[in-house]
Amino acid sequence: MSSVATPQAQARVEQRFAPARMRRTVLEMAYAGSTVHIACAFSIIELVTVLYRNHLRYPGNDPRAEGRDYLVLSKGHGVMAQYACMHELGWLNDSHIQGYFKDGSELKGLSDSRVAGLEVTSGSLGHGFSVGVGIAMGLKRKGTDQTVYAIVGDGELNEGPIWEGALVAAHHRMDNLMLIVDKNGFQAMGTTDDVLALGDLSAKFTSFGFETLEVDGHDEAAVDAAIRQLWATGEGKPKALIARTVKGKGVPFMESDNRWHYTRLNPQTFAEAIDALGLPGAST
Amino acid sequence: MREAFSNALVRLALADPKVLLLTGDHGYALFDEFRKRCPDRYINAGIAEQNMVGMAAGLARVGFRPFVYGLAAFVPIRTVEQIKLDIAHDNLPVVLLGDGAGFVYSHLGTSHQSTEDIACARAIPNLEVLSPADRFEMTASMYRAYVANGPVYLRMGKSDRGDVHAGPIDTLSPGLLIQVRTGRADLPGLIATGSMVRTALDLAQQRDMSVWSAPSLKPLSADDVCAVARACAAGLVTLEEHSVLGGLGAAITEITSERAPARVLRIGVPDRFSDHCGTHAYLLREHGLDAENAGARIDAFIQNAALAS
Repeated sequence: MSSVATPQAQARVEQRFAPARMRRTVLEMAYAGSTVHIACAFSIIELVTVLYRNHLRYPGNDPRAEGRDYLVLSKGHGVMAQYACMHELGWLNDSHIQGYFKDGSELKGLSDSRVAGLEVTSGSLGHGFSVGVGIAMGLKRKGTDQTVYAIVGDGELNEGPIWEGALVAAHHRMDNLMLIVDKNGFQAMGTTDDVLALGDLSAKFTSFGFETLEVDGHDEAAVDAAIRQLWATGEGKPKALIARTVKGKGVPFMESDNRWHYTRLNPQTFAEAIDALGLPGAST
Repeated sequence: MREAFSNALVRLALADPKVLLLTGDHGYALFDEFRKRCPDRYINAGIAEQNMVGMAAGLARVGFRPFVYGLAAFVPIRTVEQIKLDIAHDNLPVVLLGDGAGFVYSHLGTSHQSTEDIACARAIPNLEVLSPADRFEMTASMYRAYVANGPVYLRMGKSDRGDVHAGPIDTLSPGLLIQVRTGRADLPGLIATGSMVRTALDLAQQRDMSVWSAPSLKPLSADDVCAVARACAAGLVTLEEHSVLGGLGAAITEITSERAPARVLRIGVPDRFSDHCGTHAYLLREHGLDAENAGARIDAFIQNAALAS
Protein backbone atom coordinates (compact mmCIF):
# COMPACT_ATOMS: atom_id res chain seq x y z
CA MET A 1 0.00 0.00 0.00
CA SER A 2 3.04 2.27 0.04
CA SER A 3 2.94 5.30 -2.23
CA VAL A 4 6.70 5.85 -1.91
CA ALA A 5 8.48 5.39 -5.20
CA THR A 6 12.23 5.83 -4.63
CA PRO A 7 14.77 4.96 -1.93
CA GLN A 8 15.50 8.66 -1.47
CA ALA A 9 11.86 9.43 -0.97
CA GLN A 10 11.60 6.44 1.36
CA ALA A 11 14.46 7.83 3.46
CA ARG A 12 12.73 11.19 3.70
CA VAL A 13 9.56 9.50 4.80
CA GLU A 14 11.41 7.43 7.39
CA GLN A 15 12.74 10.65 8.86
CA ARG A 16 9.19 11.81 9.32
CA PHE A 17 6.91 10.27 11.86
CA ALA A 18 9.49 9.65 14.58
CA PRO A 19 7.29 8.63 17.52
CA ALA A 20 9.29 10.59 20.12
CA ARG A 21 9.05 13.76 18.06
CA MET A 22 5.34 13.25 17.55
CA ARG A 23 4.87 12.83 21.29
CA ARG A 24 6.74 16.10 21.74
CA THR A 25 4.30 17.73 19.30
CA VAL A 26 1.42 16.39 21.36
CA LEU A 27 2.97 17.72 24.57
CA GLU A 28 3.57 21.11 22.97
CA MET A 29 -0.03 21.31 21.83
CA ALA A 30 -1.38 20.16 25.16
CA TYR A 31 0.81 22.61 27.04
CA ALA A 32 0.03 25.52 24.70
CA GLY A 33 -3.69 24.83 24.90
CA SER A 34 -3.74 23.69 28.53
CA THR A 35 -5.72 20.70 27.43
CA VAL A 36 -6.34 17.10 28.44
CA HIS A 37 -6.44 13.69 26.68
CA ILE A 38 -2.63 13.46 26.39
CA ALA A 39 -2.59 9.80 27.39
CA CYS A 40 -5.35 9.00 24.86
CA ALA A 41 -3.10 10.32 22.08
CA PHE A 42 0.06 8.64 23.34
CA SER A 43 -1.38 5.13 23.17
CA ILE A 44 -1.94 5.37 19.40
CA ILE A 45 1.26 7.18 18.33
CA GLU A 46 2.95 4.11 16.83
CA LEU A 47 -0.31 2.96 15.22
CA VAL A 48 -0.84 6.24 13.37
CA THR A 49 2.88 6.42 12.61
CA VAL A 50 2.81 3.10 10.77
CA LEU A 51 -0.45 3.95 9.02
CA TYR A 52 0.67 7.33 7.70
CA ARG A 53 4.22 6.26 6.92
CA ASN A 54 3.60 2.90 5.29
CA HIS A 55 -0.03 2.47 4.32
CA LEU A 56 -2.26 5.49 3.84
CA ARG A 57 -2.19 6.85 0.29
CA TYR A 58 -2.82 10.54 -0.32
CA PRO A 59 -2.32 11.29 -4.01
CA GLY A 60 -0.46 14.57 -4.35
CA ASN A 61 -0.10 14.73 -0.55
CA ASP A 62 -3.62 16.15 -0.61
CA PRO A 63 -5.66 15.31 2.50
CA ARG A 64 -8.86 15.62 0.46
CA ALA A 65 -7.66 13.75 -2.64
CA GLU A 66 -10.54 11.76 -4.07
CA GLY A 67 -8.48 8.59 -4.43
CA ARG A 68 -7.14 8.62 -0.87
CA ASP A 69 -7.33 5.93 1.75
CA TYR A 70 -9.36 6.86 4.80
CA LEU A 71 -8.24 6.99 8.41
CA VAL A 72 -11.31 7.36 10.58
CA LEU A 73 -10.43 8.29 14.14
CA SER A 74 -13.52 7.03 15.87
CA LYS A 75 -11.90 7.61 19.30
CA GLY A 76 -11.80 11.35 18.74
CA HIS A 77 -10.06 11.84 22.08
CA GLY A 78 -6.78 10.77 20.49
CA VAL A 79 -6.90 13.54 17.90
CA MET A 80 -3.62 15.14 18.99
CA ALA A 81 -1.80 12.05 17.70
CA GLN A 82 -3.37 12.65 14.31
CA TYR A 83 -2.52 16.37 14.46
CA ALA A 84 1.09 15.35 15.11
CA CYS A 85 1.05 13.24 11.92
CA MET A 86 -0.55 16.07 9.97
CA HIS A 87 2.23 18.31 11.25
CA GLU A 88 4.83 15.82 10.00
CA LEU A 89 3.11 15.83 6.60
CA GLY A 90 3.13 19.62 6.43
CA TRP A 91 -0.67 19.80 6.55
CA LEU A 92 -0.40 21.69 9.83
CA ASN A 93 2.25 24.25 10.64
CA ASP A 94 3.94 25.32 13.86
CA SER A 95 1.37 28.02 14.50
CA HIS A 96 -1.35 25.34 14.60
CA ILE A 97 0.66 23.59 17.30
CA GLN A 98 1.56 26.65 19.33
CA GLY A 99 -1.86 28.24 18.83
CA TYR A 100 -3.84 25.18 19.92
CA PHE A 101 -7.09 26.16 21.69
CA LYS A 102 -6.56 29.88 21.19
CA ASP A 103 -9.86 31.72 20.75
CA GLY A 104 -11.07 31.32 17.19
CA SER A 105 -8.68 28.48 16.35
CA GLU A 106 -9.57 25.75 13.90
CA LEU A 107 -8.30 22.63 15.64
CA LYS A 108 -10.64 21.34 18.29
CA GLY A 109 -10.12 19.02 21.21
CA LEU A 110 -11.84 16.15 19.40
CA SER A 111 -11.80 15.06 15.77
CA ASP A 112 -13.75 17.45 13.53
CA SER A 113 -14.17 16.55 9.87
CA ARG A 114 -14.19 20.16 8.74
CA VAL A 115 -10.42 20.05 9.25
CA ALA A 116 -8.76 18.74 6.09
CA GLY A 117 -7.10 15.48 7.08
CA LEU A 118 -9.72 14.45 9.63
CA GLU A 119 -12.44 12.26 8.14
CA VAL A 120 -15.10 12.22 10.85
CA THR A 121 -16.49 14.35 13.62
CA SER A 122 -16.10 12.13 16.64
CA GLY A 123 -15.64 12.22 20.36
CA SER A 124 -19.19 11.24 20.89
CA LEU A 125 -18.16 7.62 20.84
CA GLY A 126 -19.48 4.91 18.57
CA HIS A 127 -20.03 7.23 15.59
CA GLY A 128 -16.87 7.11 13.52
CA PHE A 129 -16.83 3.38 12.96
CA SER A 130 -20.31 3.41 11.39
CA VAL A 131 -19.29 6.27 9.11
CA GLY A 132 -16.19 4.24 8.20
CA VAL A 133 -18.40 1.24 7.38
CA GLY A 134 -20.42 3.49 5.07
CA ILE A 135 -17.27 4.82 3.40
CA ALA A 136 -16.01 1.26 2.92
CA MET A 137 -19.36 0.21 1.46
CA GLY A 138 -19.28 3.19 -0.92
CA LEU A 139 -15.71 2.49 -2.05
CA LYS A 140 -16.58 -1.14 -2.72
CA ARG A 141 -19.59 -0.09 -4.76
CA LYS A 142 -17.31 2.18 -6.77
CA GLY A 143 -14.93 -0.70 -7.34
CA THR A 144 -11.80 1.14 -6.20
CA ASP A 145 -8.91 -0.37 -4.25
CA GLN A 146 -9.02 2.35 -1.60
CA THR A 147 -9.00 1.20 2.00
CA VAL A 148 -10.54 2.40 5.25
CA TYR A 149 -8.95 2.20 8.69
CA ALA A 150 -11.04 2.96 11.76
CA ILE A 151 -9.32 3.40 15.10
CA VAL A 152 -11.60 2.79 18.05
CA GLY A 153 -10.79 2.80 21.73
CA ASP A 154 -11.42 -0.30 23.80
CA GLY A 155 -13.64 1.78 26.08
CA GLU A 156 -15.51 2.87 22.97
CA LEU A 157 -16.46 -0.75 22.39
CA ASN A 158 -19.09 -0.21 25.11
CA GLU A 159 -21.11 1.62 22.45
CA GLY A 160 -23.79 -0.41 20.67
CA PRO A 161 -23.39 0.99 17.14
CA ILE A 162 -19.87 -0.48 16.98
CA TRP A 163 -21.38 -3.95 17.11
CA GLU A 164 -24.14 -3.01 14.68
CA GLY A 165 -21.44 -1.84 12.30
CA ALA A 166 -19.42 -5.02 12.84
CA LEU A 167 -22.40 -7.15 11.79
CA VAL A 168 -22.95 -5.03 8.71
CA ALA A 169 -19.25 -5.01 7.72
CA ALA A 170 -19.07 -8.79 7.82
CA HIS A 171 -22.42 -9.30 6.14
CA HIS A 172 -21.41 -7.06 3.23
CA ARG A 173 -17.95 -8.64 3.00
CA MET A 174 -16.09 -5.37 3.48
CA ASP A 175 -12.55 -6.62 3.03
CA ASN A 176 -11.43 -3.03 2.40
CA LEU A 177 -12.12 -2.09 6.03
CA MET A 178 -9.76 -2.50 8.98
CA LEU A 179 -10.92 -1.88 12.53
CA ILE A 180 -8.02 -1.09 14.84
CA VAL A 181 -8.73 -1.38 18.54
CA ASP A 182 -6.52 0.74 20.79
CA LYS A 183 -6.62 -1.75 23.65
CA ASN A 184 -5.03 0.31 26.39
CA GLY A 185 -7.21 -1.19 29.09
CA PHE A 186 -8.57 2.10 30.37
CA GLN A 187 -11.61 4.23 29.86
CA ALA A 188 -12.59 7.51 31.46
CA MET A 189 -13.43 6.30 34.95
CA GLY A 190 -11.21 3.25 35.37
CA THR A 191 -9.97 0.07 33.77
CA THR A 192 -12.10 -1.55 31.11
CA ASP A 193 -12.15 -4.68 33.26
CA ASP A 194 -13.63 -2.79 36.19
CA VAL A 195 -16.10 -0.67 34.23
CA LEU A 196 -17.47 -3.10 31.65
CA ALA A 197 -15.35 -6.16 30.95
CA LEU A 198 -14.75 -6.73 27.24
CA GLY A 199 -13.63 -10.34 27.42
CA ASP A 200 -11.66 -11.86 24.59
CA LEU A 201 -11.76 -9.24 21.84
CA SER A 202 -10.05 -11.39 19.25
CA ALA A 203 -12.57 -14.15 19.80
CA LYS A 204 -15.41 -11.65 19.66
CA PHE A 205 -14.37 -10.10 16.35
CA THR A 206 -13.48 -13.48 14.88
CA SER A 207 -16.94 -14.70 15.78
CA PHE A 208 -18.40 -11.63 14.06
CA GLY A 209 -16.66 -12.75 10.86
CA PHE A 210 -13.55 -10.55 10.97
CA GLU A 211 -10.04 -11.64 10.05
CA THR A 212 -8.36 -10.83 13.35
CA LEU A 213 -4.82 -10.39 14.69
CA GLU A 214 -3.41 -9.19 17.99
CA VAL A 215 -0.24 -7.16 18.14
CA ASP A 216 1.93 -5.05 20.43
CA GLY A 217 0.61 -1.64 19.40
CA HIS A 218 3.92 0.08 20.18
CA ASP A 219 6.12 -2.22 18.07
CA GLU A 220 6.15 -0.45 14.72
CA ALA A 221 7.55 -3.38 12.77
CA ALA A 222 5.04 -5.78 14.28
CA VAL A 223 2.14 -3.41 13.61
CA ASP A 224 3.25 -2.97 10.02
CA ALA A 225 3.59 -6.72 9.52
CA ALA A 226 0.20 -7.40 11.09
CA ILE A 227 -1.52 -4.86 8.84
CA ARG A 228 0.10 -6.39 5.76
CA GLN A 229 -0.87 -9.88 6.89
CA LEU A 230 -4.48 -8.88 7.52
CA TRP A 231 -4.83 -7.38 4.04
CA ALA A 232 -3.26 -10.48 2.53
CA THR A 233 -5.52 -12.98 4.25
CA GLY A 234 -9.20 -13.55 4.90
CA GLU A 235 -10.60 -12.68 1.49
CA GLY A 236 -14.04 -11.17 1.75
CA LYS A 237 -13.68 -10.49 5.45
CA PRO A 238 -13.32 -7.17 7.24
CA LYS A 239 -10.15 -6.96 9.32
CA ALA A 240 -9.68 -6.36 13.03
CA LEU A 241 -6.32 -5.50 14.55
CA ILE A 242 -6.35 -5.70 18.32
CA ALA A 243 -3.45 -3.49 19.36
CA ARG A 244 -2.27 -3.96 22.93
CA THR A 245 -1.17 -0.49 24.01
CA VAL A 246 -0.23 1.48 27.10
CA LYS A 247 -2.26 4.55 27.89
CA GLY A 248 0.20 7.44 28.24
CA LYS A 249 2.96 5.46 26.51
CA GLY A 250 6.32 7.24 26.19
CA VAL A 251 6.36 9.29 29.36
CA PRO A 252 6.89 6.95 32.31
CA PHE A 253 4.96 8.99 34.85
CA MET A 254 1.94 9.06 32.56
CA GLU A 255 1.95 5.39 31.60
CA SER A 256 -1.13 3.51 32.80
CA ASP A 257 -1.96 6.38 35.13
CA ASN A 258 -5.51 7.28 34.14
CA ARG A 259 -5.21 10.74 35.70
CA TRP A 260 -3.51 11.72 32.43
CA HIS A 261 -6.82 11.25 30.66
CA TYR A 262 -7.81 14.47 32.42
CA THR A 263 -4.70 16.19 33.79
CA ARG A 264 -3.26 19.36 32.27
CA LEU A 265 0.43 20.06 32.09
CA ASN A 266 2.09 22.66 34.27
CA PRO A 267 5.57 24.09 33.55
CA GLN A 268 7.21 21.41 35.66
CA THR A 269 5.34 18.36 34.32
CA PHE A 270 5.74 19.70 30.79
CA ALA A 271 9.52 19.95 31.22
CA GLU A 272 9.70 16.51 32.86
CA ALA A 273 7.63 14.94 30.12
CA ILE A 274 9.73 16.48 27.36
CA ASP A 275 12.89 15.24 29.09
CA ALA A 276 11.43 11.77 29.41
CA LEU A 277 11.09 11.54 25.63
CA GLY A 278 14.91 11.62 25.41
CA LEU A 279 15.06 13.74 22.29
CA PRO A 280 18.47 15.30 21.65
CA GLY A 281 18.58 18.92 22.80
CA ALA A 282 14.99 18.76 23.97
CA SER A 283 15.54 19.82 27.57
CA THR A 284 13.59 22.97 28.34
CA MET B 1 -49.53 9.19 -1.28
CA ARG B 2 -47.37 6.13 -0.66
CA GLU B 3 -47.53 5.29 -4.34
CA ALA B 4 -46.39 8.83 -5.11
CA PHE B 5 -43.49 8.31 -2.72
CA SER B 6 -42.50 5.00 -4.29
CA ASN B 7 -42.81 6.38 -7.83
CA ALA B 8 -40.70 9.43 -7.04
CA LEU B 9 -38.03 7.32 -5.39
CA VAL B 10 -37.85 4.94 -8.35
CA ARG B 11 -37.70 7.82 -10.82
CA LEU B 12 -34.90 9.55 -8.90
CA ALA B 13 -32.96 6.30 -8.67
CA LEU B 14 -33.34 5.58 -12.37
CA ALA B 15 -32.16 9.10 -13.20
CA ASP B 16 -29.19 9.11 -10.81
CA PRO B 17 -27.14 5.95 -10.25
CA LYS B 18 -25.77 7.45 -7.02
CA VAL B 19 -29.16 7.21 -5.32
CA LEU B 20 -29.27 4.43 -2.72
CA LEU B 21 -32.09 3.34 -0.45
CA LEU B 22 -31.24 2.23 3.08
CA THR B 23 -33.92 0.81 5.32
CA GLY B 24 -33.79 -0.37 8.90
CA ASP B 25 -35.74 -3.52 8.06
CA HIS B 26 -38.96 -1.56 7.52
CA GLY B 27 -41.11 -0.73 4.52
CA TYR B 28 -42.83 -4.01 3.71
CA ALA B 29 -44.40 -3.78 0.22
CA LEU B 30 -43.53 -0.08 -0.01
CA PHE B 31 -40.28 -0.83 -1.83
CA ASP B 32 -41.46 -3.63 -4.13
CA GLU B 33 -41.14 -1.46 -7.23
CA PHE B 34 -37.77 -0.03 -6.15
CA ARG B 35 -36.41 -3.51 -5.49
CA LYS B 36 -37.67 -4.68 -8.86
CA ARG B 37 -36.20 -1.76 -10.80
CA CYS B 38 -33.03 -1.08 -8.78
CA PRO B 39 -32.27 -4.25 -6.83
CA ASP B 40 -28.59 -3.47 -6.31
CA ARG B 41 -29.37 -0.13 -4.72
CA TYR B 42 -31.70 -1.45 -2.04
CA ILE B 43 -29.79 -1.93 1.21
CA ASN B 44 -31.55 -3.44 4.19
CA ALA B 45 -29.19 -2.30 6.94
CA GLY B 46 -30.86 -4.46 9.55
CA ILE B 47 -32.56 -3.42 12.76
CA ALA B 48 -29.64 -1.15 13.53
CA GLU B 49 -30.76 2.41 12.86
CA GLN B 50 -27.86 4.20 14.53
CA ASN B 51 -25.29 2.39 12.41
CA MET B 52 -27.50 2.84 9.34
CA VAL B 53 -27.55 6.63 9.68
CA GLY B 54 -23.80 6.77 10.34
CA MET B 55 -23.26 4.52 7.33
CA ALA B 56 -25.39 6.80 5.17
CA ALA B 57 -23.04 9.64 6.15
CA GLY B 58 -20.08 7.54 5.02
CA LEU B 59 -21.76 6.71 1.72
CA ALA B 60 -22.52 10.39 1.14
CA ARG B 61 -18.88 11.22 1.90
CA VAL B 62 -17.77 9.18 -1.08
CA GLY B 63 -20.35 10.59 -3.47
CA PHE B 64 -23.56 8.60 -3.03
CA ARG B 65 -27.05 10.02 -2.45
CA PRO B 66 -28.56 7.92 0.35
CA PHE B 67 -32.26 7.97 1.15
CA VAL B 68 -32.62 6.50 4.65
CA TYR B 69 -35.98 5.06 5.55
CA GLY B 70 -37.34 4.22 8.97
CA LEU B 71 -40.33 4.88 11.16
CA ALA B 72 -40.25 8.45 12.43
CA ALA B 73 -39.93 7.05 15.95
CA PHE B 74 -36.50 5.73 14.88
CA VAL B 75 -35.49 7.98 11.98
CA PRO B 76 -35.05 10.69 13.17
CA ILE B 77 -35.86 10.19 16.85
CA ARG B 78 -33.68 7.22 17.77
CA THR B 79 -30.86 8.57 15.62
CA VAL B 80 -30.97 12.29 16.38
CA GLU B 81 -27.32 12.36 17.40
CA GLN B 82 -26.11 10.56 14.26
CA ILE B 83 -28.15 12.98 12.16
CA LYS B 84 -26.69 15.96 13.99
CA LEU B 85 -23.07 14.87 14.10
CA ASP B 86 -22.52 12.49 11.18
CA ILE B 87 -24.76 14.16 8.59
CA ALA B 88 -25.91 17.71 9.36
CA HIS B 89 -22.61 18.96 10.77
CA ASP B 90 -21.01 18.54 7.36
CA ASN B 91 -24.07 19.31 5.28
CA LEU B 92 -24.01 15.86 3.67
CA PRO B 93 -26.69 15.08 1.08
CA VAL B 94 -28.68 12.46 2.97
CA VAL B 95 -32.48 12.32 2.88
CA LEU B 96 -34.06 10.95 6.03
CA LEU B 97 -37.51 9.48 5.51
CA GLY B 98 -39.53 9.18 8.73
CA ASP B 99 -42.68 7.16 8.08
CA GLY B 100 -45.73 6.74 10.30
CA ALA B 101 -45.19 10.09 11.99
CA GLY B 102 -47.80 11.30 14.43
CA PHE B 103 -50.34 8.71 15.52
CA VAL B 104 -50.27 6.41 12.46
CA TYR B 105 -49.39 3.46 14.70
CA SER B 106 -52.31 4.29 16.91
CA HIS B 107 -52.73 0.82 18.37
CA LEU B 108 -49.06 0.20 19.13
CA GLY B 109 -48.49 2.81 21.79
CA THR B 110 -45.80 5.36 22.50
CA SER B 111 -42.84 3.40 21.08
CA HIS B 112 -44.10 3.73 17.50
CA GLN B 113 -45.76 7.13 17.76
CA SER B 114 -43.82 10.25 16.95
CA THR B 115 -44.98 13.71 17.93
CA GLU B 116 -41.61 15.28 18.71
CA ASP B 117 -39.73 14.67 15.45
CA ILE B 118 -40.33 18.08 13.85
CA ALA B 119 -39.15 19.84 17.00
CA CYS B 120 -35.96 17.78 17.15
CA ALA B 121 -35.26 18.12 13.44
CA ARG B 122 -35.90 21.87 13.35
CA ALA B 123 -33.27 22.53 16.00
CA ILE B 124 -30.50 20.82 14.02
CA PRO B 125 -28.55 23.28 11.86
CA ASN B 126 -28.44 22.64 8.08
CA LEU B 127 -31.34 20.18 8.25
CA GLU B 128 -34.27 21.02 5.98
CA VAL B 129 -37.67 19.72 7.12
CA LEU B 130 -40.49 18.69 4.78
CA SER B 131 -43.98 17.55 5.76
CA PRO B 132 -46.18 16.78 2.75
CA ALA B 133 -49.98 16.62 3.04
CA ASP B 134 -51.03 14.68 -0.05
CA ARG B 135 -49.65 12.79 -3.05
CA PHE B 136 -48.89 16.00 -4.95
CA GLU B 137 -46.93 17.50 -2.08
CA MET B 138 -45.21 14.13 -1.61
CA THR B 139 -43.98 14.04 -5.18
CA ALA B 140 -42.82 17.66 -5.00
CA SER B 141 -41.18 17.02 -1.60
CA MET B 142 -39.20 14.07 -2.91
CA TYR B 143 -37.81 16.15 -5.77
CA ARG B 144 -37.10 19.04 -3.43
CA ALA B 145 -35.27 16.63 -1.08
CA TYR B 146 -33.13 15.44 -3.96
CA VAL B 147 -32.26 18.85 -5.42
CA ALA B 148 -31.59 20.30 -1.96
CA ASN B 149 -28.32 18.32 -2.15
CA GLY B 150 -27.98 18.57 1.62
CA PRO B 151 -29.49 17.01 4.74
CA VAL B 152 -33.29 16.74 4.60
CA TYR B 153 -35.84 15.22 6.94
CA LEU B 154 -39.00 14.23 5.07
CA ARG B 155 -41.86 13.50 7.45
CA MET B 156 -44.38 10.92 6.26
CA GLY B 157 -47.56 10.97 8.34
CA LYS B 158 -51.08 9.62 7.90
CA SER B 159 -51.22 9.10 4.17
CA ASP B 160 -54.80 8.20 3.30
CA ARG B 161 -56.60 11.45 3.97
CA GLY B 162 -57.14 12.41 0.37
CA ASP B 163 -55.90 15.23 -1.83
CA VAL B 164 -55.67 18.82 -0.71
CA HIS B 165 -54.43 20.12 -4.05
CA ALA B 166 -56.28 19.92 -7.37
CA GLY B 167 -53.23 18.70 -9.26
CA PRO B 168 -49.46 18.39 -9.35
CA ILE B 169 -47.21 21.05 -7.82
CA ASP B 170 -44.50 22.03 -10.26
CA THR B 171 -41.75 22.97 -7.83
CA LEU B 172 -41.71 23.04 -4.10
CA SER B 173 -39.83 26.14 -3.07
CA PRO B 174 -38.47 25.76 0.44
CA GLY B 175 -40.38 27.68 3.05
CA LEU B 176 -43.39 28.75 1.02
CA LEU B 177 -46.94 28.47 2.31
CA ILE B 178 -49.38 27.23 -0.32
CA GLN B 179 -52.89 28.60 -0.14
CA VAL B 180 -55.36 25.76 -0.64
CA ARG B 181 -58.61 27.59 0.18
CA THR B 182 -59.74 31.20 0.09
CA GLY B 183 -62.37 32.22 2.62
CA ARG B 184 -63.63 35.22 4.53
CA ALA B 185 -60.98 37.82 5.26
CA ASP B 186 -62.53 38.71 8.62
CA LEU B 187 -61.98 35.21 10.02
CA PRO B 188 -58.68 33.75 11.24
CA GLY B 189 -56.52 31.98 8.67
CA LEU B 190 -55.70 28.32 9.11
CA ILE B 191 -52.15 27.09 8.52
CA ALA B 192 -51.72 23.32 8.67
CA THR B 193 -49.14 20.71 7.79
CA GLY B 194 -49.19 17.05 6.82
CA SER B 195 -52.29 15.06 7.69
CA MET B 196 -53.95 18.06 9.37
CA VAL B 197 -54.31 20.03 6.13
CA ARG B 198 -57.28 17.82 5.25
CA THR B 199 -58.82 18.50 8.68
CA ALA B 200 -58.19 22.22 8.25
CA LEU B 201 -59.96 22.19 4.87
CA ASP B 202 -62.97 20.40 6.36
CA LEU B 203 -63.17 22.90 9.23
CA ALA B 204 -62.70 25.84 6.89
CA GLN B 205 -65.44 24.61 4.58
CA GLN B 206 -68.00 24.81 7.37
CA ARG B 207 -66.90 28.34 8.37
CA ASP B 208 -65.65 29.75 5.06
CA MET B 209 -62.10 30.31 6.22
CA SER B 210 -58.82 30.52 4.29
CA VAL B 211 -56.32 27.65 4.53
CA TRP B 212 -52.62 27.42 3.79
CA SER B 213 -50.61 24.23 3.63
CA ALA B 214 -47.05 24.25 4.99
CA PRO B 215 -45.19 21.35 3.35
CA SER B 216 -41.80 22.93 4.06
CA LEU B 217 -41.28 23.63 7.74
CA LYS B 218 -37.63 24.55 7.72
CA PRO B 219 -36.60 26.89 6.36
CA LEU B 220 -39.92 28.70 6.67
CA SER B 221 -40.33 31.89 4.69
CA ALA B 222 -40.69 34.71 7.21
CA ASP B 223 -41.99 36.98 4.46
CA ASP B 224 -44.68 34.48 3.55
CA VAL B 225 -45.75 33.96 7.15
CA CYS B 226 -45.89 37.71 7.76
CA ALA B 227 -47.94 38.25 4.61
CA VAL B 228 -50.46 35.65 5.74
CA ALA B 229 -50.51 37.10 9.27
CA ARG B 230 -51.18 40.60 7.90
CA ALA B 231 -53.91 39.29 5.61
CA CYS B 232 -55.67 37.64 8.53
CA ALA B 233 -56.44 40.43 10.99
CA ALA B 234 -58.52 38.07 13.14
CA GLY B 235 -55.46 35.92 13.81
CA LEU B 236 -54.01 32.57 12.79
CA VAL B 237 -54.73 28.98 13.74
CA THR B 238 -52.08 26.32 13.26
CA LEU B 239 -52.91 22.63 13.03
CA GLU B 240 -50.43 19.74 13.19
CA GLU B 241 -50.31 16.09 14.24
CA HIS B 242 -47.26 16.90 16.35
CA SER B 243 -46.54 18.38 19.74
CA VAL B 244 -47.58 21.99 20.25
CA LEU B 245 -43.96 22.46 21.35
CA GLY B 246 -41.42 23.03 18.62
CA GLY B 247 -43.48 22.21 15.55
CA LEU B 248 -45.44 24.24 12.99
CA GLY B 249 -47.24 26.40 15.57
CA ALA B 250 -43.98 27.22 17.28
CA ALA B 251 -42.28 27.99 13.98
CA ILE B 252 -45.09 30.37 12.97
CA THR B 253 -45.14 32.20 16.29
CA GLU B 254 -41.35 32.52 16.32
CA ILE B 255 -41.74 34.60 13.18
CA THR B 256 -44.93 36.51 14.00
CA SER B 257 -43.83 37.44 17.52
CA GLU B 258 -40.88 39.34 16.11
CA ARG B 259 -42.15 40.64 12.79
CA ALA B 260 -45.94 40.64 12.59
CA PRO B 261 -47.52 40.24 16.04
CA ALA B 262 -50.70 38.22 15.71
CA ARG B 263 -53.02 36.18 17.87
CA VAL B 264 -52.18 32.57 17.15
CA LEU B 265 -54.08 29.51 18.31
CA ARG B 266 -51.80 26.47 18.19
CA ILE B 267 -53.72 23.24 17.76
CA GLY B 268 -51.48 20.21 18.13
CA VAL B 269 -50.70 17.36 20.46
CA PRO B 270 -50.69 18.55 24.07
CA ASP B 271 -47.45 18.01 25.96
CA ARG B 272 -48.24 14.46 26.98
CA PHE B 273 -48.13 10.84 25.77
CA SER B 274 -51.20 8.92 24.61
CA ASP B 275 -53.13 7.28 27.43
CA HIS B 276 -54.99 4.67 25.43
CA CYS B 277 -54.92 2.94 22.08
CA GLY B 278 -57.49 2.76 19.34
CA THR B 279 -58.01 3.87 15.77
CA HIS B 280 -56.14 6.86 14.39
CA ALA B 281 -59.42 8.81 14.64
CA TYR B 282 -59.73 7.77 18.28
CA LEU B 283 -56.24 9.05 19.15
CA LEU B 284 -56.86 12.34 17.39
CA ARG B 285 -59.94 12.71 19.58
CA GLU B 286 -58.01 11.79 22.72
CA HIS B 287 -55.60 14.64 21.96
CA GLY B 288 -58.27 17.11 20.83
CA LEU B 289 -57.23 17.03 17.17
CA ASP B 290 -60.49 15.71 15.74
CA ALA B 291 -62.76 18.03 13.78
CA GLU B 292 -65.24 18.44 16.62
CA ASN B 293 -62.74 19.42 19.31
CA ALA B 294 -60.50 21.47 17.03
CA GLY B 295 -63.58 23.18 15.58
CA ALA B 296 -64.84 24.13 19.02
CA ARG B 297 -61.48 25.69 19.86
CA ILE B 298 -61.47 27.60 16.59
CA ASP B 299 -65.00 28.86 17.23
CA ALA B 300 -64.00 30.04 20.69
CA PHE B 301 -60.95 31.74 19.17
CA ILE B 302 -63.18 33.53 16.64
CA GLN B 303 -65.58 34.51 19.44
CA ASN B 304 -62.78 35.93 21.59
CA ALA B 305 -61.40 37.87 18.63
CA ALA B 306 -64.83 39.40 18.05
CA LEU B 307 -65.14 40.34 21.74
CA ALA B 308 -61.67 41.87 21.76
CA SER B 309 -62.25 44.08 18.71
